Amino acid sequence: MSIVTLTSLLFSIGLFGVLTRRDLIAVLASVEIMLGAANIQLIAFAAARGEYGSGQSLALIVLVIAAAEAAVGLALLVALARRSGRTQVEELMEVEG
Amino acid sequence: MSVSEVSFWILATMCLGGALVVVVTRGMMRMTLGLGAFLLGVAGFFLYYGSPFLAVAQVFVYVGGVLVLILLAIMVLKRDDTGRPQLTSRVDIATALVPIIVFVFMNQALSPVGEELGVVLGSSDSVEDMRMALLGTMLPQFELVGVLLLVALVAAVAIVVRKERS
Repeated sequence: MSIVTLTSLLFSIGLFGVLTRRDLIAVLASVEIMLGAANIQLIAFAAARGEYGSGQSLALIVLVIAAAEAAVGLALLVALARRSGRTQVEELMEVEG
Repeated sequence: MSVSEVSFWILATMCLGGALVVVVTRGMMRMTLGLGAFLLGVAGFFLYYGSPFLAVAQVFVYVGGVLVLILLAIMVLKRDDTGRPQLTSRVDIATALVPIIVFVFMNQALSPVGEELGVVLGSSDSVEDMRMALLGTMLPQFELVGVLLLVALVAAVAIVVRKERS
């Protein structure tokens, strides 16, 4: 199995999780899987091209953005759970236009 | 089978197993453990491709930070059931088509590039390269992402501690 196949597979598994999981925490975890797969790909290509500098910097930026996303996502989740006690995606219809 | 092949397969198994556990399992704690295995596998791949600094950052930020944050959220919510995807329902089977198509296209599109490049294993001065890039050509992005992280953390605190009005 090549690294390209592996990361494509991981990305697809994450996408499947985002589309089918009902709970917000599980959706967030699936998004983390997609970002992780993309990051592995980035580092593998950077290593293959010998461009460690820009590849690693980009991967570091993705890492920071993913951490920020997780922090805000979990904060929203806790706020939602306090407000309505529900975290299932299908039940969150309050902001529906 | 060489050492590098063996380590590749161990890391691949860790990542795939962890990812599958996250997507399929029902228990919240099991899902978190699966995510932990996946994130450690990603850190291992960073090490495998010659980026030790990123591997350490991955362990600190994710395994030490995000995973603990998720555990804390689970403790606050006091729930252990995530509602497993009903893989037998027609909608979910149809939904599975989307990731499969994405996988096929992604694999087809990137495989030639991957083969053309070939994979070589790491250099020891990768940290020096990253320093030059981050403080050189990528300085604006580096600063911006720092600001973004600060704003996100302040926003997270503001969302959680805001008192209920009315």
